Amino acid sequence: MTRLIIGLIMAYSCYGYSQDCSYTFLGELNDFHDGSPIESATIFIKELDKYLISDFDGKFKIESLCSGTLTLTISHVGCETKTVSYDVDGDTFKKILIEHHVEELDEVSVSTNASRKETKTAQETVIKSNTLRRYSSLSLGDALKEVSGVSSINTGNTIVKPMINGLHSSRLLILNNNVRLQDQEWGIEHAPNIDINSASQISVIKGSGALAYGGDAIGGVIVIKPNRIIRRDTLYGRTIIGGQTNGRGYNLTSSLYKNYKSGWFASIQGTLKQNGDFETPDYNLNNTGVKSHSFSVRAGKRQFESGFEVYYSFIDNEIGILSASHIGNVNDLITAINSPRPSIIRNFDYDITNPRQKVKHHLLKTNYYKRFKNFGKVSLQYDYQNNNRLEFDIRRGELNERAALDLTLQTHTLLADVNLDSNLDRKINFGILTRYQENDAPNTGVRRLIPNYQKYDFGTYVTSEWQLSDNVLLDAGIRYDFNRVDAKKYYRRTRWEERGYDVDFADFVIPGDFGSDVFTNPVFNYHNISAATGIRYNINETSYLLANYNLASRPPNPAELFSDGLHHSAARIELGDLRFNPEIANRLSVTYSYQNSKFHGVFETFYNVVNDYMYLRPSGVQQSNRGAFPVWQYEQTNATLFGLDVSSQYNITQNFSWLNKTSFIKGYDTTEDSPLIDIPAFSTLNGITYTNNDWYNFSVSLKSEWVFEQNEFPDFDFETVNPTTGETVLLDVSTPPPAYNLFHFYSEATFSFNETTDLNVALGVNNILNTSYRNYLNRLRFFADDLGRNITIQLQLNF
Amino acid sequence: MNINNSNFKTMKINYLNFNFMKTTRLFASAFLGLALLASCSDDDDGGQPNEEEVITNVTLEFVNINDANDTVTIESIDPDGDDGPTVPTQNVSGPFTAGATYTATVDLFNSIENEDITEEVTVDEPDEHFFIYAINGLDMTFSRSANDVVRPDGNNLGFRTTWVANTASTGSITLQLFHESESVDDTNEFGTQTGGSTDVNIIFTGVSIQ
Repeated sequence: MTRLIIGLIMAYSCYGYSQDCSYTFLGELNDFHDGSPIESATIFIKELDKYLISDFDGKFKIESLCSGTLTLTISHVGCETKTVSYDVDGDTFKKILIEHHVEELDEVSVSTNASRKETKTAQETVIKSNTLRRYSSLSLGDALKEVSGVSSINTGNTIVKPMINGLHSSRLLILNNNVRLQDQEWGIEHAPNIDINSASQISVIKGSGALAYGGDAIGGVIVIKPNRIIRRDTLYGRTIIGGQTNGRGYNLTSSLYKNYKSGWFASIQGTLKQNGDFETPDYNLNNTGVKSHSFSVRAGKRQFESGFEVYYSFIDNEIGILSASHIGNVNDLITAINSPRPSIIRNFDYDITNPRQKVKHHLLKTNYYKRFKNFGKVSLQYDYQNNNRLEFDIRRGELNERAALDLTLQTHTLLADVNLDSNLDRKINFGILTRYQENDAPNTGVRRLIPNYQKYDFGTYVTSEWQLSDNVLLDAGIRYDFNRVDAKKYYRRTRWEERGYDVDFADFVIPGDFGSDVFTNPVFNYHNISAATGIRYNINETSYLLANYNLASRPPNPAELFSDGLHHSAARIELGDLRFNPEIANRLSVTYSYQNSKFHGVFETFYNVVNDYMYLRPSGVQQSNRGAFPVWQYEQTNATLFGLDVSSQYNITQNFSWLNKTSFIKGYDTTEDSPLIDIPAFSTLNGITYTNNDWYNFSVSLKSEWVFEQNEFPDFDFETVNPTTGETVLLDVSTPPPAYNLFHFYSEATFSFNETTDLNVALGVNNILNTSYRNYLNRLRFFADDLGRNITIQLQLNF
Repeated sequence: MNINNSNFKTMKINYLNFNFMKTTRLFASAFLGLALLASCSDDDDGGQPNEEEVITNVTLEFVNINDANDTVTIESIDPDGDDGPTVPTQNVSGPFTAGATYTATVDLFNSIENEDITEEVTVDEPDEHFFIYAINGLDMTFSRSANDVVRPDGNNLGFRTTWVANTASTGSITLQLFHESESVDDTNEFGTQTGGSTDVNIIFTGVSIQ
């Protein structure tokens, strides 16, 4: 405003003097990122109220200028409009830089709905904002199942861990607003600490092609992005209120975004969710309630040439674990498996009692970037995460109030990244990462499953992208990672010797008298190389082909190295192994995509050979005063996984469309020549949707989710003595449950109040027929059925 | 030509100075800072684990109601607890006398923390616990004693029990302790329960009556 006034005063003052109107202004427009001339740009001369067009060399000339202020507004297709002003006091030559590739350089968005892939040649699927909103009351793991080939491994129905092509936990890398989530992801009952409502777009990248994010993503990478920043003076937001019958749950989420044309932005978002005991078609699932609240704030300035951002998010989850799944020993497990109904069935309530989890996760991130002309972009990022996990077990007396497992994981990461994109046909990206992580496990009255440790990571990578021709794009990258783990752990002397560590790792022992314990300081260094290369070939207007090769290397995680003790909720003794090598995966994939006006199909195949694949397997039974416990030992073997994921949609008429998502996967232990455990069975999802945009964007769909029985599984059954009868019984922990076919209904309509305000109303019915079923990939399948019918209603107000 | 304009000047600062080297130096010092931060952190090991829940010694002490000198002690000792690899050792002090009646009490002890757990189970929390017995191969008659601890729900806890050794035989005695059962029932004397988790489960073998 002040500038305008000054301008007006100056313009006015010019007229006060005698005018010399013979000056010439010569301008040259160049592209910021590579210096090339910008032709055919429109130049508006404010003072003369006149338009000009730049010539082939990006030049333009204004003649017969008077002395004084000259204000030019330059606009060009694909460019950000730019206004500059000069004081003219003679003949003038000026070079003016504008950026022509703002969208290609992924800097500033023109619309909120734009989706952008993270990779060019990898098997990547983007889940957009409007799809994510449907999962507002659910978890990240539920939403990711939108992608063919993505399933989940569950503990009940609220602890949902994503699984990509049969791989999960430490083999998946989850990025939240460019911060790699460090939340003790090693455990099967540790769900990712993300509020799905904070995401505006999620990319699922199968395989480890996205090297800039890490070299150990043997399964894949999940990239969660918040809202894109729009450079407009705008204030907008969204509120979602939902309720569901199963679990009598509610969810409330609200977000507000403020953007300025200058590039400044701020946003705030918060979510509240709660539900009580869920139910199967036949009974209540006691103690399966969840309480969750979360919020995030974000602010910064985003311009083409530079910008910064500060982001903070917090999530607090309290999750009840099915009462009937709390077992003391293997006999309790026998009783549970042989009983068609869980041993504890009570009336519905919202109370969460032991066993339960309480997890808090803080994430703080700050970044800064700057563009240099004719060079590219340099970014610097620091992030801090604090993850506190409390697991409460049913314990005697006062101990019941005290967590049996109490781990605080703190992580600091510093990331520097340089993106050389001055030549759009040959981009180069390189960077460096340092990370420090510390796990703190205070005494809880039971032995620690994970010890105190410090971890140091260093990584560096180079990736490059070449546009070889109009139809062929090639990319390649290489990455090196160094990891050092420095732990302090008390081993029981009997265990230390039984594992043979007293012979192999005698130098880890810290001298001193620790009674029945051995105090040790295991230190491990790992060097990892990873690489990726891929090609995209556009066959014609309607189809393209992707081929990709990834080499990934993942060092053992703390659970795989150090686990040593009774995992109460699982009634098993879990043993890690200090001798483990990093896991090395070689993954080959080919994708074919075809799209015309009626049909869109994506066919993704992969072949993944994982050497030194780490997994938990039963290795026998161990006796104690509490009875027998199965021992599950981490082991290394060579594994091969391969499969095909199909995703297709056919528009039958303008209003009717049919969709199919099918995924077929096989996994084998090639050393033992047997199937791998926990591999998803063949599944196919078919749906028919009726859409009528003229009638408030109304749509209604019916889907069938058909999951086959997994007929290839390893036989890990074992024998134990029934204490009451004294007989030896076989415990079947291996046989997968039978196939099931569920039907789901979903309908929505959007009512617009004005240009910027609308209300979306959605009604859904999951498991319409109230089918009883159990899921092979649910750890609680031994104890209870999965969920029965669930009716959901959701109101979404966008303003 | 003499041009100066504040707008243009700011642009100049933004991209005319190619200060890449400077930026690199900034990054390097930041990384160094992080490394220092890391190396300064404390070396806490969290302390030696205390194991407050473990029951290492389970003992059943039988006394002949007519002869205080006729005692039988059967015990199971697991010095490294539930998750230690050591297999519990069982001691049976001697045979029962055929025709005699014995009363028995249970003793639970944690030798790692030197803590008596019997009182916790029988005095503090009898409502949450229940003992169940089984006899296989032995000709014995079992009942819960009249002076047994009575749970709030009216069932006898199974802490004090009465055993009649009938004829000479050999077999096993099973002792189980359940925690937080949904329901317990002592009508058949040995006891049954649903929904609890096991705290103790021992099959004492090689028990005989002579």
